[in-house]
Amino acid sequence: MTEQQPPRLEMRGVVKTFGPVVALDSVDLEVGRNEVHGLLGGNGAGKTTLMNVLYGLYRPNAGEVLLDGAPVSIGSPRDAIDAGVGMVHQTFLQVDNYTVTENIVLGTDVSGPLRLDLGEARERIRELSTRFGLTVDPDAVVEELPVGVRQRVEILKALYRGARLLILDEPTTNLTPQEVDDLFGSMRAMVDDGMSVVLITHKIRETLSVCDRMTVMRDGRRVETIERADTDADHLAQVMVGGSADPGDLIDATALGAVDAEEVETVVSSVREEIGVTAQGLVVVNDQGHELIRGFDLDIREGEIVGIAGVAGNGQVELAEALAGVRPVRSGSVQVGGRSMCGLPTAAWLDHGVAYVPEDRHRDGILPTASITENLVLGSQRSPRIRKHGLIDWGAAKQRAVDAIEQFSVRANGPGTPAGDLSGGNIQRVILARAFAHQPRMLILHNPTRGLDLGSTRFVYEQVRAATAAGCAVLLISEDLDEVIALSDRVIALYQGSQAGEWPHGSVDAYEVGRSMTGLGEARV
Amino acid sequence: MSETMTPAPPAAPAPPAARPTNRVVEALWLLVPYAVSVLLAFVVGGLIILAIGRDPMAAFESVLTTSFNTRFGTVETLHKWVPILLCAYAFAIPLATGKFNIGAEGQLLVGATGGVALGILWSDLPTIVLLPCVLIAGALGGALWSGIAAFLMVKFNVNEILSTVVLNFISFQLIDYVASHVWPDRGAGHPATVRVGDGALLPGIGEAPPFHSGVLITLVLVVAIAVFMRRTPTGFELRAVGANLRAAQVHGIKTSRLAGAGLVVGGAVAGLAGAIEVAGVHGKMLEGMQSNFLILGIIVGLMSRGSMLALPVVAFGIAVLEVGAGSMQRTAQVPVEMVLIIEALILLFLLLSDIVRAKIRGQ
Amino acid sequence: MGEITEFLTLMIPAMVPFLLAAQGTVLSGRAGVFNVSQEGLMVLGAAVGFLVSFKVGSNTVGLGAAFAIAALFGLVLAYMTTQLRLDQFVVGLALYFAALGAAGLLYREVIGVTMEPPLIPTLDDYPIPLLSKIPFLGEVLFDHDLVVYAAFLISAVIYWFMYKTRSGLAFRSIGENPKAADSLGINVTWARTWSTVVGSGLVGVAGAYLPMVYTGLYTEGMVAGRGWLVIALAFLGGWRPHLVVAGAAFLAGMEVLALRAQVAGIGIPHQFVLMLPYVATLLVMVFAFRWARQPAFLGRNYDRESRLVG
Repeated sequence: MTEQQPPRLEMRGVVKTFGPVVALDSVDLEVGRNEVHGLLGGNGAGKTTLMNVLYGLYRPNAGEVLLDGAPVSIGSPRDAIDAGVGMVHQTFLQVDNYTVTENIVLGTDVSGPLRLDLGEARERIRELSTRFGLTVDPDAVVEELPVGVRQRVEILKALYRGARLLILDEPTTNLTPQEVDDLFGSMRAMVDDGMSVVLITHKIRETLSVCDRMTVMRDGRRVETIERADTDADHLAQVMVGGSADPGDLIDATALGAVDAEEVETVVSSVREEIGVTAQGLVVVNDQGHELIRGFDLDIREGEIVGIAGVAGNGQVELAEALAGVRPVRSGSVQVGGRSMCGLPTAAWLDHGVAYVPEDRHRDGILPTASITENLVLGSQRSPRIRKHGLIDWGAAKQRAVDAIEQFSVRANGPGTPAGDLSGGNIQRVILARAFAHQPRMLILHNPTRGLDLGSTRFVYEQVRAATAAGCAVLLISEDLDEVIALSDRVIALYQGSQAGEWPHGSVDAYEVGRSMTGLGEARV
Repeated sequence: MSETMTPAPPAAPAPPAARPTNRVVEALWLLVPYAVSVLLAFVVGGLIILAIGRDPMAAFESVLTTSFNTRFGTVETLHKWVPILLCAYAFAIPLATGKFNIGAEGQLLVGATGGVALGILWSDLPTIVLLPCVLIAGALGGALWSGIAAFLMVKFNVNEILSTVVLNFISFQLIDYVASHVWPDRGAGHPATVRVGDGALLPGIGEAPPFHSGVLITLVLVVAIAVFMRRTPTGFELRAVGANLRAAQVHGIKTSRLAGAGLVVGGAVAGLAGAIEVAGVHGKMLEGMQSNFLILGIIVGLMSRGSMLALPVVAFGIAVLEVGAGSMQRTAQVPVEMVLIIEALILLFLLLSDIVRAKIRGQ
Repeated sequence: MGEITEFLTLMIPAMVPFLLAAQGTVLSGRAGVFNVSQEGLMVLGAAVGFLVSFKVGSNTVGLGAAFAIAALFGLVLAYMTTQLRLDQFVVGLALYFAALGAAGLLYREVIGVTMEPPLIPTLDDYPIPLLSKIPFLGEVLFDHDLVVYAAFLISAVIYWFMYKTRSGLAFRSIGENPKAADSLGINVTWARTWSTVVGSGLVGVAGAYLPMVYTGLYTEGMVAGRGWLVIALAFLGGWRPHLVVAGAAFLAGMEVLALRAQVAGIGIPHQFVLMLPYVATLLVMVFAFRWARQPAFLGRNYDRESRLVG
């Protein structure tokens, strides 16, 4: 019966550019009725961008959208909702102190403008939640609910508004395996009920277990649309990479692919015998109190680079901040250079030679309105190296800044340039210059080359090697698998706050790492 | 001073839109919004003066020239400049860490109480001993008063805006009590204390009428605060917290404790202003001596937009306007409040200039 | 008349300025606009209300004029924060100064320097038929001027609007998560604007009530920090209109207590008695900031363009 009917969604020739960057290059997408459609691709493949266009968050430069065969013009999320499109973002748009029901009816014309009778709405929500297996108490206050349940609220919000096409953006990122199973069950119930679901994901196993068809995207283009029955994990991984069977390229499937493998020279290992850093049984919670690192053990020898490979949101930020002394650990211990560090203030970690290059350079790394000189002083303003007669010696600091600008090739008018005026690569050079200024014992790098040009990237790698040659223990946390594999003496895959595998340099199978960090590791293919 | 960091409290603007190559042009660029805002505020003020049927030109002439026409006017301007500037520091130093101190008048009054207490109790001591004691007692009094707010903020998370304001009103009663019960001057016809000993008075400087040496102390303080904010680790940390709280935390700075310290230091400066008012201007403590220094200090602090170097200059400008206000009322029959309106307008136009600048930059 | 009856009978009208101004503050606050110009708006409201009543001879017109002028200031605040996205606190302070200046200027222009301070008639009491005959309660609650009844009615209406209507549900969501509200088609700018205008107007009326209730005189310091206390009150009441009523009763009680203690001469210097409302506020804040919730987005401007970034 579906054969006579037009597909639920057709997107034709969608183009979206951000400045000079082409994010979507004439993309086509077709989603049938009663279908869970996987939208698969690595970081930056354009899958979320495409769905944001559909949901009215981005205006496309070209292309058309048809729903049930009829062309529609969607200029805002409101239009999308009216057209029967619902989207569940990775971050939930909910009013924390409202109940589930209140959040769901918000913005609808329930009861009447000067009344508030939610009885009917509550019944409707109960009915929807039973029908699709989205168990939730309509009277619970959402801030007290776990992530998985809040996600159901977000889905119910779309269903309550009559969505026929539901987009889920990386919905499993923070879910437990049980919650993932429940979610997939609900998705099946929805398509059985006549809806269509688009699942945005980079996890191959997920698409295989729940999707009827999948569209693979890469570099802003659609590569292929495949029926579930015609594919398997290896094949999908190859499509994500570009059809090549060379396992060396497979890593591209999960990496940004910013650097070609040959650009990175072979590592000359400088690993020493002495243990530089030991962490045992680390449990770390995020700002909301959720355990994002669950029992993590780690040893780094002096001069060793340990790479943490993983998909964002698996506890990287918490791990980095805990090991940098910025975030207190809930339990476990950290020793740096034989000294137990847990419980000491951040300044003591800094003094002890722990240097941290944070992921979010602008938010955590620099004082934007302050000069390069001042940014280089940040963190060591109390150190005797910086002070003369108790006062900060700006003359010497400025001289050091001039040297650092020279040595680290920072492109700036001079040491007085505000750090916020620098480009991303140059900000990173300033942060590295600060980190390396006092011969660190331990260096934590989190996505150190993200958004950098090739020159800056290579520069970062050279600096890291120089540090290890001097005996520094390096923890490299990166979502760029290429980078992790090329630089590290040892690679650890991080998945949901725990180790999902470990490989010494030279025997790293990129594909295996990629599978471990997407939760495929323990699965049979 | 090209490396002077401009902390970014909410009031602070973005750096100038254009990036001129040389520093003189850069400095001039910073002045343009000030000049335009002052001009516009005077235009609007002039229209209001016209609307109430007075002569704006006569009013503005007396506002702008009174400070410079007579020596008396100049001395009065300097004497106003001191408390306005110190109250501006009291506002701006905590603001460097992103905290709003709206309690400078309470801190000034408690500082004055501390100063007057020693000045009366130890009135026989010579200047060399007593005067420093009076000034230090003033600073400690102010620090104590803002310290209450700092304690409540750090310990109990009490909003510092509210606590500092509420402490103002408590201090009004406190000094009223001191002036009417502890050391009352029954003959004053107005709540006031008896005079402090001669050793507590700041010596005058120059021919009659002299200005008090508190002006010199303030000049020293201007330098000291600049050095403190720029050269000491604590000053650097204060500015770092204001510039980027997260980054400061990641780099080992204890942000909440520091924010409390900023409030205490600000209070100390306001307290010193109180002691100087006692020792230099009144010779005693009296009700209402806080004048409108709180408001003027906030205006100066907001207008200077985080620059410790701009503060003394802006404060001088405001002192000129304030001294001129009285003579404007006498000669042009324009109420003194007109000046407050003009000052508020300058501030609003200065805020709007950010929008204009962002627009220019966007094109 | 018993001591308690008299105390409560005095306390009810003393609540009015706190009540009106705090409900006005809560109204805009729940939409996320943190107005800090209350002290100035109350002074301006007092001046304008007094002067208009004096010239026109009608307290009602005076109250209306106070509402209008304060609402105008509120409009400026709303425009500068929602459209131009300037810092709420800094704009609020600037408006506070401007309002203080305007109040002084207007009084001096209209009245000038006089030997005899001008007087306006105080508001008449309107005992509510039947209800005012109830022993004790009638005397305490139902024998006051109309503004008293209006203040309580307005509190009830604001409560009803916020918690008992669909529009109120949408309205409150703006102060909690404007991004969520916006994504569901709720007009953030409009809600913030009208609530700031109306809320500021109420603050103005609160000020105008002061010269009309006790003495019929306008004096410069008559607001005496009440504008700041109502901000504290909004926090103490957790930005909820019904709790604000309780908080207003507390502050008014302290005020009446202080005045009566001063009159009675209880041996403590009156200055310490007069500190009471302020000290009590300070102490209560210690506990209030632990439990009281405030709108999550209070004091922060919403920029739709940042929707895609943040």
